[in-house]
Amino acid sequence: MIVDSRAVDRVLAPASAGELAEMMRSETGTIAPVGAGTELSLGNPLEPIDAAIDTRRLDRITEYVPADLTIHVESGVRLGQLAGALAEHGQMLPIDPWNGPEATIGGVVATNAQGPLRAVGTVRDWIIGMQVVDAGGRASKTGGRVVKNVSGYDLAKLYTGSLGSLAVISEISFKLRAAFAATASARLRPGGLAEAADVIREIRSGPLEPVSLVWAGPEDPFVAVRFGEHPRAVEWQLDRLPGEGWERFDAETESAVWDAVRDRYRALAEPVVRVAAPPSEARAVIERFRPESWLVHAANGTILMTAGVDAIARLRERHPTLVERAPREVRLQAGVFGLTGAEYDLMRRVKTAFDPEGRLNPGRHVDGERPA
Amino acid sequence: MKPEVIDKLRDIVGADGATDDAAELLVYECDALTLFKNSPDVVVFPADTEQVAAVVRLANEYGIPFLPRGAGTGLSGGALALEGGIIIELQQLNRILSVDAENRTAVVQPGVVNLHLSQAVAHLGLYYAPDPSSQVACSIGGNVAENAGGPHCLKYGMTTNHVLEVEAVAADGTVVRLGSKTGERIGYDMVGALVGSEGTFAIVTEITVRLLKKPQSVKTLLAAFRSVEDSSRAVSDVIAAGIVPAALEFVDRRTTEAVEASVYAAGYPLDAAASLLIEIDGFEVAVEDTQASIVDVCRRNNAFEVRLARSEAERARLWMGRKGAFGAMGRISPDMITMDAVIPRTRLPEVLTAIERLSEQHAMPVANVFHAGDGNLHPLILYDGRDADQVERIHALGEAIMEVCVGVGGALSGEHGIGVEKKDFMCMIFNDDDLAAMRRAKGVFNPDGLLNPGKVFPSRPSCSEVGPGVTRTAEAARRIDEYVRGAGEARA
Repeated sequence: MIVDSRAVDRVLAPASAGELAEMMRSETGTIAPVGAGTELSLGNPLEPIDAAIDTRRLDRITEYVPADLTIHVESGVRLGQLAGALAEHGQMLPIDPWNGPEATIGGVVATNAQGPLRAVGTVRDWIIGMQVVDAGGRASKTGGRVVKNVSGYDLAKLYTGSLGSLAVISEISFKLRAAFAATASARLRPGGLAEAADVIREIRSGPLEPVSLVWAGPEDPFVAVRFGEHPRAVEWQLDRLPGEGWERFDAETESAVWDAVRDRYRALAEPVVRVAAPPSEARAVIERFRPESWLVHAANGTILMTAGVDAIARLRERHPTLVERAPREVRLQAGVFGLTGAEYDLMRRVKTAFDPEGRLNPGRHVDGERPA
Repeated sequence: MKPEVIDKLRDIVGADGATDDAAELLVYECDALTLFKNSPDVVVFPADTEQVAAVVRLANEYGIPFLPRGAGTGLSGGALALEGGIIIELQQLNRILSVDAENRTAVVQPGVVNLHLSQAVAHLGLYYAPDPSSQVACSIGGNVAENAGGPHCLKYGMTTNHVLEVEAVAADGTVVRLGSKTGERIGYDMVGALVGSEGTFAIVTEITVRLLKKPQSVKTLLAAFRSVEDSSRAVSDVIAAGIVPAALEFVDRRTTEAVEASVYAAGYPLDAAASLLIEIDGFEVAVEDTQASIVDVCRRNNAFEVRLARSEAERARLWMGRKGAFGAMGRISPDMITMDAVIPRTRLPEVLTAIERLSEQHAMPVANVFHAGDGNLHPLILYDGRDADQVERIHALGEAIMEVCVGVGGALSGEHGIGVEKKDFMCMIFNDDDLAAMRRAKGVFNPDGLLNPGKVFPSRPSCSEVGPGVTRTAEAARRIDEYVRGAGEARA
């Protein structure tokens, strides 16, 4: 198996949480947890590893109680499998990460993967509990099995997005919501940056509550919006989209819009960065940097765009910026997270506290970069 | 405490910024959990972040325990100075620093009162969603520490879902900024770890929160039932119908009696075994329809009365009964403990039956008023604090109720926190390995343990017996059946 251009000879594939803990206990070297392998280049360049933990056999939905709106799944369960089980009961986990239905839920959580569906939070907002195994093979849990819980510290927040650098996730509990009663989408091909930015500002400031709002460019630019709600509320919102020229798509045809958005994400020219800029500043960032390609989550402000090492440094002067997808050299030069000062120091201490010997995904997280 | 420490504190916060006057300290010997009391040695009132940091550094220099305090409305003893030391009172940091209407965020100091923020942004058509029952008094800093909820977190989430960025003073006095203005987490989610850490990780001195658009339309209705089972089924059927209510609250007969005899009288039917207060919000064109579905569900589950609030005044009156319920208990009992536990919503009927049996068994009345939509129970144990025997029995009853809730796969707390109150119950759910992971996180922020000592972790050295909280719901159901039967037999 190749993980971030590191060859690994030994691949361990536990079939239960117990087996996972046992395997971890007998390991003494460095370990890389791997799910479906859809996001393996995220993070700082991996240092040499002795073994990979393949979680794909941890593939059971251990309990699903539709009436409680909760589901408990092993980390190797695929997103598609999960969505299918939920759809049978008219429910959903409202996330649609770019890496698609093949991705494992553990991988999605460990990478904090996101997609266009942003208006109802990210995966962190739906996790209610987690079971993990640390580098020493010690299993522990955090949170619980109910939809609301403040018993003990919320360590699930730390594990989410930690890129497998603190522990290996074995099981995750989610709260759920009812599937959207109806959905529909619309797409506009704006004349220029100003028109797109104005339309987005009007959508955001008016009564509309889109569940996805994406702006792509500069080639073949478009603004795509999706509503998910009571059917009448969906219609009402579609009728009030600002500006002219919206092409409408109903629940049957809207996948064409969002498949195109996904294609656009995949086609973003590397290096791709994720800029955390307030929504009102998206246009200014794009005008200043004129990226070769971009995709803006206009609902919350996250900008995905092409940026080289120099541009990354300049972006970071104003906005926290993550290197999302980039060749090894860029990640090494720029640092994936670009954190500074006391925030960096605290995170470094998190890594040391949870993985004192630095055996889990060494180099991947903040341990792989110096403060910017 | 050495006089030189008090002098040095006064050098930091000014002569009027600190008090060690015994009479003044009385106010600070507990928060809203009055069962546990201990006085701090001194209380300081810093005026800015730098003063907070300087106080913390001084405390570290002398090895003195210290802790933050907001409005003191917490219900788990989070602001209790268990080992004395310094209370850092944050109520002076009460300014809304900025509101960004276009990006729907606000930057506030920790002492800002929860409701004041919503009031301050109302003219922009915005509000701050987390709405704990104490929102007229509680501070947002305290909400962050406890990850506060409220009736509307059923639809809109808890405090943790609304905090984007914080500035905090770490336990060693370092000032750190965590998170981002958009909520995007770059690196570890330190904000997520900090929210709900019960004032044991750091002292938050500035908070950027997300604001929401006020819903176009809000409908509130009251449905009255002759049996708890019918009301519970109605709750389940509302959820099963795919409706996401903004709030779904349960009020039992004992609570209704207290409310209706008080200034909070809301017109709840006195002959109902249970009433549900249901609120939906959203687009005008949709809520009528959703409301009709809810009325239908309630009628099918034998609601004998379904009443819709027809004006804002009627709506406010229905909510007054719910939000005033805790206060109204003063009509029927001199003292009260507000418990907090979460159960899977589907286990409501048997858990309420078990609580009723335990209440009879311990000869202590219990009233139930709670967030039914997310299974967040608030059993209110009524007692007379002048009777030492009753005070003794509260603990036994409280523990038995927690065992029932945990036994069905529930949680020790939904929104009040563990604090002092429930730290010894932690072993019901978490084993030594679980707690060790939590200690690692605490060690990152608060390695010397000087910040808010004695909280969250159990006082007994080991939780080697794995608690029942890890069991699957199906197993838990069997356990609770046995428990309810056993309690019944014990009584017989």
